[in-house]
Amino acid sequence: MSTFREHKTIADRASSDRSRHRKKIEDAIKDSIKGVVAEESIIGQDGNKKIRIPVRGIREPRFVFGDNQENKKVGSAPGKDLSKGQRIGHRRKEEREAQGNKPGDKPGEEMYEIEMSLTELAEYLFSDLNLPELERKKFRFITEEKMRIKGKRTYGIRPRLSKKETVKQKIKRKKAAIKAGSFTDEEGERFPFHEQDLRYKHLTPVDKENTTAVVFFVMDVSGSMSTSRKFLARSFFFLLYQFLNHRYSEIDVVFVSHTAEAHEVSEEQFFTQLPNGGTLVSTALEKVSEIIEKRYHPSSWNIYTFYCGDGDNWGIDNEKAVECFEKLKEINQMMCYTEIGDVDGEGNRNKYNLFANGGKSLWAHLTRLEGPTLKRVGLSCHDDIWPAFKKLFGGR
Amino acid sequence: MSDWSMETLQEWDDKICVLGEKLGLDWYPIQYEMCDYKEMIGHMAYSGLPTHYRHWSYGKIFDRTQTEYNLGMSGLPYEMIINTNPSIAYLMTENPMPTHLLTMAHCVGHSDFFKNNRMFAETGASTALDRFKSAAKRIRKYMEDPRIGIDRVERILDACHSIRYQTPRTPGIKRRDPKKLKEYYRSLILADETGKWKDFDLEKIPLEPDSNILKFIAEHGRGLEAWERDVISIVERESGYFVPQAFTKIMNEGWAVLIHEKIVKSLDLPDDYFLSFIKLHNQVIRPHLGRVNPYHLGYKIFKNIEETHGFEECLEARKLHSDESFIKRYLTEELCRELNLFSFSYHKKENYNKITDVSSTDGWRRVRDDLIKNIGLNSVPVIYVKELLDDGTLVLEHDYDGRDLDLAAANKVFDRINELWVDTVRFTTVIEDELWEF
Repeated sequence: MSTFREHKTIADRASSDRSRHRKKIEDAIKDSIKGVVAEESIIGQDGNKKIRIPVRGIREPRFVFGDNQENKKVGSAPGKDLSKGQRIGHRRKEEREAQGNKPGDKPGEEMYEIEMSLTELAEYLFSDLNLPELERKKFRFITEEKMRIKGKRTYGIRPRLSKKETVKQKIKRKKAAIKAGSFTDEEGERFPFHEQDLRYKHLTPVDKENTTAVVFFVMDVSGSMSTSRKFLARSFFFLLYQFLNHRYSEIDVVFVSHTAEAHEVSEEQFFTQLPNGGTLVSTALEKVSEIIEKRYHPSSWNIYTFYCGDGDNWGIDNEKAVECFEKLKEINQMMCYTEIGDVDGEGNRNKYNLFANGGKSLWAHLTRLEGPTLKRVGLSCHDDIWPAFKKLFGGR
Repeated sequence: MSDWSMETLQEWDDKICVLGEKLGLDWYPIQYEMCDYKEMIGHMAYSGLPTHYRHWSYGKIFDRTQTEYNLGMSGLPYEMIINTNPSIAYLMTENPMPTHLLTMAHCVGHSDFFKNNRMFAETGASTALDRFKSAAKRIRKYMEDPRIGIDRVERILDACHSIRYQTPRTPGIKRRDPKKLKEYYRSLILADETGKWKDFDLEKIPLEPDSNILKFIAEHGRGLEAWERDVISIVERESGYFVPQAFTKIMNEGWAVLIHEKIVKSLDLPDDYFLSFIKLHNQVIRPHLGRVNPYHLGYKIFKNIEETHGFEECLEARKLHSDESFIKRYLTEELCRELNLFSFSYHKKENYNKITDVSSTDGWRRVRDDLIKNIGLNSVPVIYVKELLDDGTLVLEHDYDGRDLDLAAANKVFDRINELWVDTVRFTTVIEDELWEF
């Protein structure tokens, strides 16, 4: 005889394992995003733009046989006419190996595709960085001095006379006079203003935070900047842009590319321009100064300038470039000099030689200037982006 | 409104049990748990075990099952029973009475199989629940231990899961103690007159290739903490518990179908119940085009045995065989033809699956052998520990049988083995006729 019983409900027994699995998927998404960031044109886009992100599924690997002729399977097909050598099923899609960060469609690869907006994407990215802390301590806004009314005074200059308050004082005095019997409120009798009634607005200066910002992305597009280097720069710039965009109510982006001379360009041109020519970093910085002077006055804009290059400046220009950096540093909330090294895929830090040219590189020249508002970071592969970002906004 | 109550279930069960005994079956008492579909999905994720250690992979199964169920992509199994004494089985409260009847009779078949088939001899059905409970508790303890934490436990579990099917292929037989094994070889050497054993190294580890990789790592791995060895052993023992089921999937299901058919047909069901039953029964044993439905195949073979040799032989077969020997012994040419079994494989040049053999007079044996290569753990590559070198290097070898490994997957597994083994791991296989070392 068997027994029957109502099952003792274990409230959703799989819940913790499910959340654990979902966390893994989220991590996978974050990984994929980093790839997407490098490929798509997303800086300066509307935050609602939807992006499709391929995400590798989380699966447990185990030893399995591959698809080959000797790995025979057996099936049944009652009532069907079969013969040896007959083809069955569909032709397979051509197997493509995974290219770059795009998933391959090799069988066995479990892929999700997730659609998310840029804003969501940025949130994913920053949730990694423990930003709340950073937001409080490290973030800075330029301040503007503004006059604010702060109370009333009995003295002051004529234009600041507060009529409303003055009338109030007069009414008070009138009421008191009636109560005391010194004045009867009868038709036609005047109760004039008195010197004592006058009240003036008192103004004091207060600091107000300004929440508009302009970001200058400056990049060396000379011959030595390869496409893979540019991709790296783009990823980094994207992060910076998204981050600043998060903090400021309004943000302008200016792209300046330079070789031996500098130009303001569109985002697309910025990343796709064919490399040519030599390198004069100072021209770009002068261009930035020029644009700031014309359009972005430092007292009403928070200015950020991010420079990205491979450190290959012409020797004669180094001194001038450093001067420009020093000048710009004064009016920038933050400046960053980014040097991109050999992208050899190994992420080997020693591979990019930051101290080349016997210590005469731009990197070395800038040592003197480094401080809270000017930082240097080196990038050689995607894995360097996060540490670099942290150095800028999270570091000491 | 359901058409059954606990009382009616009990009444029908009494009749089912009487019929089962009449057939000569001998099963563990069955404990039916009534649960709703959501609980059912929960139990499915953990292979029906009421308590099981935590791991994200079970959460994944849960989510996937639920999604498929909600989208109507798949139904839920009407039966789930585990190899314990008493056998725990689940009945879904949403199901109507005829489904329950089929399920209950079916469970009698499974429980009888668990109790009698020799593959299950070492699974310890009476203590299984307690073992799983204790394992779950220990793993929870490690996860909650601030010195260990969930991430480290998970890393070990991930690694273990990747090789959990690399287990001995001899269920029902206890693993030989290394000491006894040494004694055995020593006696061989002493009694040796042919000189064959002259050069045998008694100090070699392992003395014989060891296909229980997890156990080997737990025993010989350097630098493993006690809790890590314990986690590895937990996974290894769980595999040992489940391997017999993989070895007998076709028989076990075929047997349960044969039994439920016999019992329910003798129940004198009212017409409407009987019709619902037949409908469900036919659905269970319908052949799957292009695949092999174990319920169908197992049932057909048992049915054939009964018709040609009598039910006594069926009882005997369910005791002695595993799927492999069962198919070798009882899958006949006629059955192959009737089921229209065929072999196929992927031909890279043509980019198509092509039929390589059909169940013709000269081809059916090859089809049968291909089928055997695909059942149970035969579809899992055999990897064994060949040697443990003095410098701590673990030498693994793939027992190559003509089927190449999937390299991408193998690479990932190799990485995970390295998580468990601090010293060097060497692993060799054959890829496209060339020796391949990882």
